[in-house]
Amino acid sequence: MSYIEIEDLSFSYTGKRKILENINLLIEQGEWVAVLGHNGSGKSTLAKLMIGLLDPMSGSIKIDSTLLEEETTYEIRKKIGIVFQNPDNQFVGVTVKDDIAFGMENLLVPRAEMLEKIDFFARKVGMSDFLDKEPASLSGGQKQRVAIAGILAMQTKIIIFDEATSMLDPYARAELMDYIRELHDEGITIIMITHDIEEAMLADRLVILKEGKIHADGAKKQLLGQPEVFETSSLELPMAIRIAGMLENNDDKLKAVKEYLWEFSFDR
Amino acid sequence: MKNIVIGQYIPGEGFFYRLDPRTKIISVIVLMVAVFLLDSIYHLLVASGVAMILLLVGKISIGRVFRGLRPLLVLLVFTFVFQILFNRQGAILVNETLTLSATSIVGVLFLTVLWRMLARRGKFRFLLLLMYLGGLYLAMRYLTFWWQITTFPFVIYEDGVTMSIFVIVRLVVIITLSTVLTLTTKPTDLTQGLEKLMRPLKVIGIRSEDFALIISISLRFIPTILDEANKIMSAQASRGADFAEGKLKDKIKQVISLLVPMFIIAFKRSEELADAMESRNFVPGKPRSRINELVFNRLDVLTSVFVVMCLTGSILIRVL
Amino acid sequence: MGIQFRQVSYHYPSGSINFYPAISDISLSIAAKGEFIAIVGHTGSGKSTLAQHMNALIFPTSGEVEIFGSVVSKRRDKKVKYNDLRQKVGLVFQFPEYQLFEETVEKDIMFGPINFKVPVEEAREIAKKAIVMVGLDESYLRRNPFNLSGGEKRRVAIAGILALDPEILVLDEPTSGLDPQGKKQMMELFKDIQDKTGKTIILITHDMDLVYEHTSRVIVLNDGLLVYDGSPDALFKRDDLAKYHLNYPETIRVLSAIKERFGVDIDVYQKDAISAANVIRLVMGQ
Repeated sequence: MSYIEIEDLSFSYTGKRKILENINLLIEQGEWVAVLGHNGSGKSTLAKLMIGLLDPMSGSIKIDSTLLEEETTYEIRKKIGIVFQNPDNQFVGVTVKDDIAFGMENLLVPRAEMLEKIDFFARKVGMSDFLDKEPASLSGGQKQRVAIAGILAMQTKIIIFDEATSMLDPYARAELMDYIRELHDEGITIIMITHDIEEAMLADRLVILKEGKIHADGAKKQLLGQPEVFETSSLELPMAIRIAGMLENNDDKLKAVKEYLWEFSFDR
Repeated sequence: MKNIVIGQYIPGEGFFYRLDPRTKIISVIVLMVAVFLLDSIYHLLVASGVAMILLLVGKISIGRVFRGLRPLLVLLVFTFVFQILFNRQGAILVNETLTLSATSIVGVLFLTVLWRMLARRGKFRFLLLLMYLGGLYLAMRYLTFWWQITTFPFVIYEDGVTMSIFVIVRLVVIITLSTVLTLTTKPTDLTQGLEKLMRPLKVIGIRSEDFALIISISLRFIPTILDEANKIMSAQASRGADFAEGKLKDKIKQVISLLVPMFIIAFKRSEELADAMESRNFVPGKPRSRINELVFNRLDVLTSVFVVMCLTGSILIRVL
Repeated sequence: MGIQFRQVSYHYPSGSINFYPAISDISLSIAAKGEFIAIVGHTGSGKSTLAQHMNALIFPTSGEVEIFGSVVSKRRDKKVKYNDLRQKVGLVFQFPEYQLFEETVEKDIMFGPINFKVPVEEAREIAKKAIVMVGLDESYLRRNPFNLSGGEKRRVAIAGILALDPEILVLDEPTSGLDPQGKKQMMELFKDIQDKTGKTIILITHDMDLVYEHTSRVIVLNDGLLVYDGSPDALFKRDDLAKYHLNYPETIRVLSAIKERFGVDIDVYQKDAISAANVIRLVMGQ
């Protein structure tokens, strides 16, 4: 029994063209999975289906043995949270404090407990000094961290990042990735939707979507050894792996460099 | 864009800041009713004296409050002129004959041009307007020579003067009260206060929580949307749609070039926001716990007692 | 000609409504032809503020900007038609697809030229050329821009600026939100435009790989100050980029790691994977 079980999932907005087709995916607790794909590959649709914002055309999603359906969405959303792409459009509260509280308010958490948790999780994402700040005075990276705190405060075990770094500058992006790494170390299951390969290199496992189907699914190391998988799905390999792929195998020194280049890609 | 102040709220300390928003809202409404009940200019002057004392107690700068009156100056002047000219009751105070002649027309034109030019500078506009009106009177009163076209009577009655003062003082007091409310209450507290006060409306099917959420989200997005509007205006200006220059016909197209993108973005935003709220387990109509709580304290009780006294006072004055 | 900044500053007292980060005392000169410039710097460093001075969308609080002979300074000059300067320097905003508003692509592209009093028939011809220049075909002209894909919308929006036939094209993060394929195609498009027209192209970007591979000049802003103006090669040879919150291009990072690990003398300044592999072979192989 896997933590997340997606079985034969298909989705279409109009009933004609399928955005997702026969997706089968099993994700274990504590895994870090990067879902990669070109624009329009259906990766964000998959995220919305997993959190019950869209209804599948066919197939099923089970999270922690609970089948996702209308009656269970409320329970499922206690287990799985999502950080969206646009930092502005998911900031509900008037202040940081209010925004972290929003999810807990919906779960009827008593006020005293909320205040405690807000303090705890704001500290966790480095936003303790900003509790009374309004979103207009925060940077994009800060807003995304507030979103994470809001989800953590709901005791969520799985977080989906739906291109959550794509509107940030490289600095804020690296910073956010550090926080995500920390969450993973604490046992949170991370599903990272992205088209940035460098970002995906932090995951354990890569799932590549192409035109609504799973094009490849496997351990990072295994998939990176198959450059054709990336070439055929409009994705790029990390620079170090690309360089390694160009070097010959018939020379010991070059072999050592190749090995090192792989290492370099993994240890970012 | 950073730190834009929404509404008129100015952070500060003092009596009014410590009151519960509910007390403030109700008090302002009750005091307004009390002021409306007063029908004599003298009682009204007493009331405005009380209002002044309240401002002093609350450490609110009177200048601030009067700045709040500025947008309503035109209304005040209009009321004044209307009352003076058309109220025909009481003793006659002024009885003059005004003349429209070649010279007075020239004088009127000259004054109008002078007034418009000075007003464009932007300073002391209200004073200028009063001086202009006075000037008009003087011109038509004394420039009577050459080509008299027509003459007409200019009569001011006593009630005209008292009524105009009465109406203006009443307006000023009422606006002052509401300005105190908005100056000292955060928009979020205001919304929350309204939400709590509107709770009884549930009986007729209005859900005050939803209403409050809508208001607070709107407040939250005002700076974002302003920022966006600015960006799109700049982007269209880059395509030659200068919103400052151009003819009326071009203007219409320019406004469309701003509004269509704004609509599309607002739509996308609201959809994404709805997704974000839903994914954090928001279900419309379900009960929620609240992070911000309102609590009454002793000040609120004192204020309520004072307000009730004011109301009783004006009812008594009115009835007796 | 081109654009000259002379000691340009832009700031407003705190508390006033201000949409842009400040810049201070910036002097630089941009040629009207043939340059490919990148403006880089962290968020809030003033990159976009600088760009918006280039076509008089905002006015300096001190100093002056000369744009193709017209001087823009704090005091607005009635004789200068600021709107006309916007035709000379085309500015493509970030996520330009959001500025589309007409019901057909053709009308949307024609919006700019018509604002600049180009006759309708001529504007239609211009739209035809512009759509082809951004790599789409004429059949797109009749389509509704809102039914296009994200990448196509962005191309249409760029066509809308190209239709003004600006001398200089400024693009604010034109590749943001695109997937690797889309990014590559977008960069090819700019190269193509420059090859065909010789226009100066200015990119505002965070992507150092792109800066290193494509541009011939970099302007670095840090907290509103101009801290570097020169070739990308010389910039990335410096070892103090971290203090400007800048990264090194990926090729340099990879090759530097090899250099350190294997203790070999390798020329790390390579712009793409192929030349990087070549230098590795040269130093390490037989």
